[in-house]
Amino acid sequence: MAVASDLHFYVDAARCIGCNACVQACSECDSHKGQSMIQLDLIDALRSPQTAPVVCMHCDSPTCAEVCPADAIKRTEDGVVLSARKPRCIACNNCVLACPFGVPKMNTEMGLMMKCDMCYDRTSVGKKPMCASVCPSQALFYGTREEIERLRPRSQAIQTFRFGRQTITTRVRMLVPREAPARLSVTDGFGDPGIGHEVDEDVFTNIFVGRESA
Amino acid sequence: MQRGVLKPTVYAFVATAVLGALIVLGSRNLAHFDAALVAYTFAILFATFGLTYRYVMWLQRPPTRLYWRRGWRLLFARGLRLRRLGRGVRRVAADMVANRFIFKRGRVRGLTHLCIMWGTLLAAAITFPLVFGWLHFAPVPGDLSLYRVVVFGFPTFTFPIESLGAFILFHGLVWASFLVIIGVMLAMRRRMREGGAATLQRFAEDFLPLFLLFAVSVTGLMLTASYTWMKGAGYDFIAILHAITVIATFLWLPFGKLFHIFQRPAQLGVGLYKDLGHDGPHAACRRCGAAFTSLAHVHDLIAVTAELGYDYRVEDPAAPAIAALGATTPPAVEHYQWICPPCRRASLALAQGRLWAGVRGGDTLAVAAHPPSARPPTPRYANPGRAEGPLGDEDAHNFHP
Amino acid sequence: MPVPDPENLALLARFGPHRAYERDRREAPGADEHLVKTHCCFCGQQCGIQLKVRDDAVVGFEPWYDFPFNKGKLCPKGIKRYLQNQHPDRLVRAYAKDASAREGFRALAYDEAITRVAAEITRIQTRFGRDAFAVLSGASLTTEKTYLMGKFAHMALRTANIDYNGRLCMVSAGAGNKKAFGVDRGANPWDDLLGAEVIFIAGANIAECAPITTDYVWQARERGARIIVVDPRLTPLARTADLFLPVKPGRDVALFNGIVHLMIANDWVDRAFIEEHTVGFDALTAHVAEWTPAHTAEVTGIAEPLIRQAAELWGRAKTSFLMHARGIEHHSHGVQNVLGAINMVLASGRIGREFCGYATITGQANGQGGREHGQKCDQLPGGRDLANPEHRAYIAGVWGIAPEELPQPGVDAYEIFRKVDQGEIRGLLSICFNPLVSLPDNNFIRAMLEKLEFYVAIDFFMSETARYADVVLPGSLHEEDEGTVTQVEGRVIKINKAVPCPGEARQDWVIIQDIARALGRERGLTFASPEAIFDELRVASRGGVCDYSAITYAKIEQQYGVFWPCPDTGPDGEPTPGHRGTVRLFEPGSWNPIARGAGPFYFPDGKARFNLSQYSPPREEVDGDYPIILTTGRVVSHFLSGNQTRRIGPLVDHCPEPRVEVHPRLAEHLGVIDGDWVRVSSRRGECTVQASVVRTIRPDTVFIPYHWAGRKSVNQLTIAAQDPISKIPEYKVCAVKLEKAAAPADRADLEPQQ
Repeated sequence: MAVASDLHFYVDAARCIGCNACVQACSECDSHKGQSMIQLDLIDALRSPQTAPVVCMHCDSPTCAEVCPADAIKRTEDGVVLSARKPRCIACNNCVLACPFGVPKMNTEMGLMMKCDMCYDRTSVGKKPMCASVCPSQALFYGTREEIERLRPRSQAIQTFRFGRQTITTRVRMLVPREAPARLSVTDGFGDPGIGHEVDEDVFTNIFVGRESA
Repeated sequence: MQRGVLKPTVYAFVATAVLGALIVLGSRNLAHFDAALVAYTFAILFATFGLTYRYVMWLQRPPTRLYWRRGWRLLFARGLRLRRLGRGVRRVAADMVANRFIFKRGRVRGLTHLCIMWGTLLAAAITFPLVFGWLHFAPVPGDLSLYRVVVFGFPTFTFPIESLGAFILFHGLVWASFLVIIGVMLAMRRRMREGGAATLQRFAEDFLPLFLLFAVSVTGLMLTASYTWMKGAGYDFIAILHAITVIATFLWLPFGKLFHIFQRPAQLGVGLYKDLGHDGPHAACRRCGAAFTSLAHVHDLIAVTAELGYDYRVEDPAAPAIAALGATTPPAVEHYQWICPPCRRASLALAQGRLWAGVRGGDTLAVAAHPPSARPPTPRYANPGRAEGPLGDEDAHNFHP
Repeated sequence: MPVPDPENLALLARFGPHRAYERDRREAPGADEHLVKTHCCFCGQQCGIQLKVRDDAVVGFEPWYDFPFNKGKLCPKGIKRYLQNQHPDRLVRAYAKDASAREGFRALAYDEAITRVAAEITRIQTRFGRDAFAVLSGASLTTEKTYLMGKFAHMALRTANIDYNGRLCMVSAGAGNKKAFGVDRGANPWDDLLGAEVIFIAGANIAECAPITTDYVWQARERGARIIVVDPRLTPLARTADLFLPVKPGRDVALFNGIVHLMIANDWVDRAFIEEHTVGFDALTAHVAEWTPAHTAEVTGIAEPLIRQAAELWGRAKTSFLMHARGIEHHSHGVQNVLGAINMVLASGRIGREFCGYATITGQANGQGGREHGQKCDQLPGGRDLANPEHRAYIAGVWGIAPEELPQPGVDAYEIFRKVDQGEIRGLLSICFNPLVSLPDNNFIRAMLEKLEFYVAIDFFMSETARYADVVLPGSLHEEDEGTVTQVEGRVIKINKAVPCPGEARQDWVIIQDIARALGRERGLTFASPEAIFDELRVASRGGVCDYSAITYAKIEQQYGVFWPCPDTGPDGEPTPGHRGTVRLFEPGSWNPIARGAGPFYFPDGKARFNLSQYSPPREEVDGDYPIILTTGRVVSHFLSGNQTRRIGPLVDHCPEPRVEVHPRLAEHLGVIDGDWVRVSSRRGECTVQASVVRTIRPDTVFIPYHWAGRKSVNQLTIAAQDPISKIPEYKVCAVKLEKAAAPADRADLEPQQ
């Protein structure tokens, strides 16, 4: 049992509508025991409804596993970085703080790190992961390269990420425009205000005029 | 021989030799050593070698070594306050003795582990001293109704043979095997019925230890049954069978899942480290400004990742961008480790999103929306519900001590 | 008769809403699980889903990848809907109001309850006349049940007063569609989005209210589509739209007229199509002459350049799809808004072809099917009119009664309550309807529920409205019955039964027939199964606009749904039992029973109508006392009145309470920061909720979702103004004022979902 080598996980975060379907479906995966491991954040709720869906990128050389003092994080031969092994994990938070993508979650009560394992109980037997199955915007997609090329003609899938000087390659792919460079520098996002629309105030008649003293 | 291998080998030899010496010493030059148990002794000596080797090997990994050193240093640090000690004792009681953290995963799972853990610990506590000749029972000269307990060659207290206490004491291994069998059955039930467990479990890692513990317990019980009710029928054969199962378990100990028995106490050191980190200075995220962990932890992780061959240093292309947001004195990011996990996730999405600007619609939001000197806010879980969003207090507060 | 206190804690403890969680009940899965293919119980998109069933309990779900509409995709509600099964709040007995019981109710035997209901119906109808007993039905019921409800009211009770809660939902679109096209159905399958050059989305928060449509929009963009979103709020899909027009609530038709004005001025219209297929373009040209960009900008609050860009984008497109939903429909001029949108479509000539489409996004599960077969106050099955003698004669023939026995058209759902006020209606039966939460100005509804002499509610949970009932009958959950529904595209699909009803609960159609039998009026109401009802419905719909006659359960399964019209008789009277359905309406050369070959539209001349879409301001304009516009809507984790979703733990945890969205500029004026308590009040009521300060809403507008009951219900504030044609209430605009407040004192006793 292994994840078929021609099936890949693709992420197009810009499509995300923050509906929480992935979050609610994640906890329904049998091996996740009612705990949702996908990360979904509101980036800046004041300004925009933009959300960031983040699944484990399944790095070729996972920082989380390397910094684990208990040797609790294993990468399978088919390239999936599994959740912490329960008998070993000592809840030290090294992985939570070292993962460049911010993926691991800490279950404080159980003293256990839990992270996205690409629904290994499903993908290793040929099924799609829960989040990508249900995702209404298909910001999360699981399928073959041929499918993604047919469905996303404007996109290219990249697997190389830069974090300052460090380059990380991953099993999970991110979709960027065809004309964009083939690697994504995550630090470019630090100061980016995000994509949206301003609700332009200038065109409104001033509703507060005359009531300032009220 | 490489230094990485030499050191654990030396430690393993030393540990094995020390145990051997203690056996000779404790059994008074093997006077109380039961020759029939020699196979067990050698299995344990082998396991000691293996366990020490692996343990030291493990401690050489940069993150482990760090925690090991920090843990001991903190434990013996001056000014170790009572409150912290109290927390430590409570943690030992709750997690080590009562397995509270496993009960949180499920009542049955907690019970399962508690049974197996206490069963095996009880059995070990009884058999090891007996096997090493450190403990034996000697009849009290002149009073055949009494036994004297001899520990490490020193006679201690006596007790009547025909008493309830004696019955319970002599059958300690029976009680231990009951506990283990109950635990193993519960564990097997879960592993066979649970859909999720089925795909993730591996035979050698998850089933073999259960089979071994079960075999040890059952053959041990058969020995008792044989001499109690069957006049020793098949005793020799069962004894060999039992020896084989026990020896196999010991030989497997350093390699398989059961090694966690020796790793697990590291949790206590981690707890101490977290407590101190919580009380000490915090690290603030260099994107959103929120405290997300202890200052020490960030420094340690920077050192550890560097030692592991990662280079997460950031040559600050972001500083001007953050400055553009109006931060009065933007700190240089310097190292990616200074960014909190939610900001990492947001940055990934923002970095990807900006590539689509002008290709797919939407405008780049005006920078002016952030009042001067403000930073971007800390991203927050789109779903605040426990188990769906954050899995615990640490995720919920985005603070990982 | 004393009425139970709606916040009676004993009642809440007994009947909920309690929150159900997966981890409360999932033990180790066994091998005896099986999957049942069915559809989601919530919105009008009706996503395919497989329910995981073990020991007669629904214990989970598995995506149904093969169903073509959603291909396995689901929103959070669909994912967690299985938690409504085996719920501790589930009604498994009948209950009667009992002031002496702490909970306000005592259980009684099912048969006894039916007898009592029948006796009260007889008493009220004998004493006050047949129309004094009214029926309120729902658009989440299967089409079979909606047909049965209409037949029960019209034939067994012979009351004129039956209406349904689609009145709060799709009727403006329905009325507009009938006026313009002569037929009321989304004109296109969603696949037509996938090649549209421009997608125009007006008043539809697709991301939260119809999430599965999101992927269609994104796939269209992959093929180059440009997106225009009209909404007072920056919705998640609007965030990445090519154009976002933040319209002032209630001014949509002005925008549409302004766009048509620019289309005509720039000759971005399809003259050939208009000439051949439409009526009334010249009058429209004159009508929109006043809607210059400047005037449009002034009325709509949208910057003039944005209006020009939108008109050009829409006007120059070769293919397009226009979608709208409640945002433009929930108005006292909702039908005019819809007609304005349709004028944009007809002027462009882009309809009835591949990638050229128009549709309203239905809200309720059977929003489409539920408005077709006779539970609307003026309607008979097959989309027929109760006032039309020919239609009356046909249905009377199917039912085996004289046409005179059929009552005349009755009044709409809100008017039914006004008639309670006037003493004309004394008794009420409701099913699948929670008006105390969902109707506007619901303090009035509460008073009317108290005033009713006899009220019987059929429900699976004790809804907030059911707490006012004299008798509550335990009905069936979605997964406990089978039948068909018609989803947003006009596709008739099949709901399959997964588990039996628990305890004394019964399938809704059984309950209705039991009541009819107890009344001694069971003639025509002795169906043995939903399929038997469907077979009669097929006959009743034959020859009507909504023709289901060649649809069978087997065909639905084979084809993954069948689009109506699907007649079993051809234009020349020849039998066509193998008809595969009509995927796209208004295709050139298509035949329909009204035009009979004269043209593709459902009028005798086969031509579509341009209607003069009149702008009028909302009924209640803001003024010095109530200076802010309140608009209402939904959130992704709850559905309608929340009777189901407020009992599903993970959904409540995601969105536990209503919050009021306030622009920072308004917040600053009020001295309020994010999380502060704010008292929002209108001339009808008030509601204190926490503020969510966001820049994604117009500064003159605030938004509150309506899924909550009692003191958290925003419908205490909304106005009962209705569209004169469709009778839809004006949920989307009323005038309010906001004040900073302290947390309401009574909240401590209540759970978030109450």
